[in-house]
Amino acid sequence: MLMPPFNLHHPETVEEACELASTFLANDESFDWVAGGTDLLPNYKWHINVKKHVISLANIKGIDTISMHEIGAMARLGALADSEDVHPLIASAASKVASFLIRNNATLGGNICLDTRCFWFNQSEDWRRSIDWCHKEDCGTGSDCRVIPNQNTLCVATYQGDIAPSLMVLEGLIHIIGPSGQRQVPVNEFFKLDGITRNVLESGEFVLKVTFPEGVEHRVGSYKKLRVRESWDFPEAGVASSWIVGQPSSLRIASTALESVPRYHQSEIDAIEEVFSSDLVGSLSKAIMKSIKPVNNTALPPRYRKSMVRVLTKRSLHEILGDKA
Amino acid sequence: MAGGYRQQPGANSGETRKDGKRVAGKQKFPPPGSGGSRPNMAPRDLDSIPESVGGKEPQPAGSHIHDRYRTGTEVGKSRALVDSHAKVTGQAWYGDDVRLANEIIGKILRSPHHYAKIKSIDTSKVEALPGVLAVATGADATNTFGVLPVTKDEHAMAVEKVRHVGDLVACVAAVDEATAMEALNLFEIEWDVLDPVFDPRKGLEDQDEPIHWRGKYHVGTTNVQKRVFQEFGDRSLVDDPTASSHGKWRMEGVHHGFTEPHAVVAHWDPNGRLQLYTPQQVPHYAHRALSTVLEVPMHQINVIRTFVGGGFGGKSDPFPHEMCAAILARKAGRPVRINFTREEVYWINRGRHPSYIEVKMTADDEARISGFDIDALIDGGGFASFGHVTSYYNGVLATAPYELGSFHYTGARVWTNKPASGAMRGHGAVNTRCAVEVGLDEMAEQMQVDPIDLRLANLLPPHSRTISGFRITSNGMREALERVREGSEWDSKFRQMSLGKGIGIGCGFFISGSGLPIHWDPNRFPHATVHMQIDMDGGVTVHTGAADIGQGSTTAVAQVVSEVLALPIEMIHVRSHESDTSPVDLGSYSSRVTFMNANAAIRAALDIREKLLNAAWEMLGYHPDVLVLNDRRIYYKHDPAVGVSYLQALHKAQEDKGSLIASGAYRSPPMGGVHKGAAAGLAPAYSFSAYVAEVDVDVETGLVSCTDVWAAHDCGKALNPLAVEGQIIGSCHMGLGQVLSEKMVYGRTGHLQNPNLLEYKIPSVHEMPHVTPIIVESSDPEGPFGAKEAGEGPLLPILPAVVNAVYDAIGVRIRDLPLTPDIVWKAISSKTRSLGGIDETELPSPRLEHSPLQATLVARGAEHKVRDRRRQRSEDTSAYVNGVLFGFDPNQPLEDQVEGWKSAVEPVPEQLAELGLAGKAWLKKEQRQMRGDQ
Repeated sequence: MLMPPFNLHHPETVEEACELASTFLANDESFDWVAGGTDLLPNYKWHINVKKHVISLANIKGIDTISMHEIGAMARLGALADSEDVHPLIASAASKVASFLIRNNATLGGNICLDTRCFWFNQSEDWRRSIDWCHKEDCGTGSDCRVIPNQNTLCVATYQGDIAPSLMVLEGLIHIIGPSGQRQVPVNEFFKLDGITRNVLESGEFVLKVTFPEGVEHRVGSYKKLRVRESWDFPEAGVASSWIVGQPSSLRIASTALESVPRYHQSEIDAIEEVFSSDLVGSLSKAIMKSIKPVNNTALPPRYRKSMVRVLTKRSLHEILGDKA
Repeated sequence: MAGGYRQQPGANSGETRKDGKRVAGKQKFPPPGSGGSRPNMAPRDLDSIPESVGGKEPQPAGSHIHDRYRTGTEVGKSRALVDSHAKVTGQAWYGDDVRLANEIIGKILRSPHHYAKIKSIDTSKVEALPGVLAVATGADATNTFGVLPVTKDEHAMAVEKVRHVGDLVACVAAVDEATAMEALNLFEIEWDVLDPVFDPRKGLEDQDEPIHWRGKYHVGTTNVQKRVFQEFGDRSLVDDPTASSHGKWRMEGVHHGFTEPHAVVAHWDPNGRLQLYTPQQVPHYAHRALSTVLEVPMHQINVIRTFVGGGFGGKSDPFPHEMCAAILARKAGRPVRINFTREEVYWINRGRHPSYIEVKMTADDEARISGFDIDALIDGGGFASFGHVTSYYNGVLATAPYELGSFHYTGARVWTNKPASGAMRGHGAVNTRCAVEVGLDEMAEQMQVDPIDLRLANLLPPHSRTISGFRITSNGMREALERVREGSEWDSKFRQMSLGKGIGIGCGFFISGSGLPIHWDPNRFPHATVHMQIDMDGGVTVHTGAADIGQGSTTAVAQVVSEVLALPIEMIHVRSHESDTSPVDLGSYSSRVTFMNANAAIRAALDIREKLLNAAWEMLGYHPDVLVLNDRRIYYKHDPAVGVSYLQALHKAQEDKGSLIASGAYRSPPMGGVHKGAAAGLAPAYSFSAYVAEVDVDVETGLVSCTDVWAAHDCGKALNPLAVEGQIIGSCHMGLGQVLSEKMVYGRTGHLQNPNLLEYKIPSVHEMPHVTPIIVESSDPEGPFGAKEAGEGPLLPILPAVVNAVYDAIGVRIRDLPLTPDIVWKAISSKTRSLGGIDETELPSPRLEHSPLQATLVARGAEHKVRDRRRQRSEDTSAYVNGVLFGFDPNQPLEDQVEGWKSAVEPVPEQLAELGLAGKAWLKKEQRQMRGDQ
């Protein structure tokens, strides 16, 4: 399959990268960031949203830190999965991403910023022409969404990143950098509807690193992933949870692969607080299941994925709470 | 000893000089044959020479006609495939590895519509694009082709209308891929979009515009491509059954998922001959089709089969892109390459038919199977492909291994506006086999008997005839069942494991070579021909048209030649790539290659063997009957020192002649019934298999994982046990994909939603169970050294074994394949609801308490075991036909013994109302019959 042509840029410092970005912005030229390329390049091969320029972060030194309190955007998922320095929950989530080969190249930053997916969208140009395009990549036609027809204002493509929910339950903070400077956003505020907008990154900005608060090492976490095959597959549903053992108020739960953004489930936990002593796991799993609304655009049907949220939440909670549940 | 000459044996190990070199004339024997690294003759390997000819190889299934040609050299030994070195070093040349000078790139314009007429195509802008060297449309090649002569319904590119999204519309060749892709956007086409049909059930109805038109044979104005009706036996036996099973199945379409996407290079050489490089399973059909479409005589076309990166049936049709490449190359005057993307592979498809199958089965008070009633509606997609045959196979390949009281089959294949279905490993037999084996499991449960004992007491014996007239020869079904029962510790596990853990059984039955060569009369022309040539260097060149698609056909041919001539396998060189040099061969499908080609190769090798022995006779003075062939030497049976080397005998045989040349052919014997469709499913031999699968079911998520498989397959004689085991394990993997996760998903708009290897879920190594392959050898009387097929049959049993194991685990029967977690979860949920809303973890596991029938079955099974052994070893050669179990006399026509014994291939009017889904195709009349009405 032939890759469409683009200009590849290799800045060597963060400043140089920001400079390149602001030049392109000033000249009104389109560009993409690329880290490991395992998400972007397959889409390029399908001629999806191909930009004139691609800025690679691969040659920038010092943005692949791996430690308990800081992980650089260029940290490879394979390295995270094997690392004893990162939080075990991150290592476990990273080890469940795609396949061994892909993990060797894929990065944390890329996984966080993963493009949303939809079986009407992740297809070749010929295929998309045969459905007369779709809202997410309408090729200037103003096409309707194919999942929820008769509208072209909302994109419901699914966010299928594996690691985001784990970052959420570990209270991660995303450091963003761009031509207008650096800023920090908690992971649970990073994602933004809809499937096209995806997150709060402004043009020219990219994710630099994720940091975690002091004490994160005391958190016990678990990530449960639903998939048909134990390799390659994106999550069809995923639930992460964590707590500091013995501190009920520290419990955090997040889910992924169910909607256009990963979801942080604080409100479901808040609503349940008073019945903590009774069937906490049962009520929480049910509440979280009810709160999500998957659509039919991945391998498994939405009704099933929704029901599985209950099972995944239950299993995740059982794992971290143990006999305290 | 007149005329012979005796060689002086040297000291024990032969004398050597101080520098380690051998002393001339002081050796045990002179360097025989090719010499090389093994100067001395190897001792005879008696362990690999059958008992019947004085060796030590046990023959529990009896002796074989080829035994006396066994030399203990290669047959029965685990060998790496002869082309494995090329493959593991990356030097095998697949379709995409061919690079010709001045090659240009072809791309195909594909239909964006499901079903549409082409009003006009304007190519002027395409032709004007710099770098474009040739453009072609349907108008450039209007002759039709197809793999079966009865259903030639394909064009190189759409001539009048397109029949599915991805159908070929036009093609272009340009200096590079980017230019060719750009050119595709410049075609201007006016369409007249038609109403598509996706649901095969709708295909049974009359349409305004059927997808194809068959003239006077067209069934009404429907999209029915082929309908089949078959009824045999005594239908009254199905009344008052003791047990019955009625299952409605929905099976999704699956694709072969071979590694190598299609790729072709076409080149018109300076003499004006077409040289076409393509990874084909059946180069001969492509050869014929190219000749028809291009209007060039076959002798002006050389089809060069590259290495094939997996086929499984998906590379056995002649393909339109092969025609396109040839047309573009002819126009451009330069070699043209067309490589497929994975998505194009799914659009050309030819995978297993999506099917609706309904099976009603009954058993009588002695637990005999009184009736099979099968209805199969199969979704053919846009073209006929192999579908004519598939329509039969869905029924007729279910007529064994069990003895049936009656058999009733209605089948229909309909065209829909989807990529064409075709032949895939286990062609036509897989889906109904699954349905039937699960039905047996259900009946066993109703009768409270063990499903393995139910099978063992209802098997057809060796050397018998099925209800539809197939001739069964060797039959290792019983041994296969016994060995998986033992290997899996079935008796201590079945219906005894905890919730979520289950074990299940499934059997299989498959043809070993189609008895009818599609293109010619088998009585006039053989199925397979092999040529052999030996020059003065002693190397044996074998020319065969057998297409090695990874299954090891080249190795099988080399092994049998090596065995007959007692030559090391590295002296056998198989040439099979070019149609210019290889004899006509039907190619790699219907599991025919080892059976037919190896038989032809043995015959050619026997011719050479005779010439060598006669030369040795002349030199030694001993008659060939007392001469022994062993490792590059021919010697007197009673004194190995009296002998000649292979080269000496060869050179003697070559005197006045030059190279030795021989040719061998195989044709199947006349057999089978005379009814319409009797040839479908007819084979010179059949393979049998039985698998036990163990599964873990997660009752909360519905995820099924298969953990262990005991897989017994009767391949007659394993010429190469390593290759047979590889086929068994590979079949398990492929069948597991179909039963657990693989499906071609057609969404709400009829588009194929998953034409890529991420979303088309072939099991990964993590999903692969531990497979214990068990080889059963029933020594087929007509197979080469007793061998039968091992490539397709082993796929069949894994599906029902898993489905039955899932029932054992959770007590829920599911008849929607694949068993993706959502399907299993849905079935579990409705079961828990029906039990009053219990938790999934409280589901009752099925348990078995034997009824008195169990003892009857065990006794009958034991009796039949004795019967089968005697028949297998030809100690009992009396006639046996399906029906003996029901008390009929095999020596009298069954029709004379019972009133109402049926052998019908068309329904009588009274039956029409009660036919199943596919049977409804018989409610319509053919056009020619309608004319009579008017």
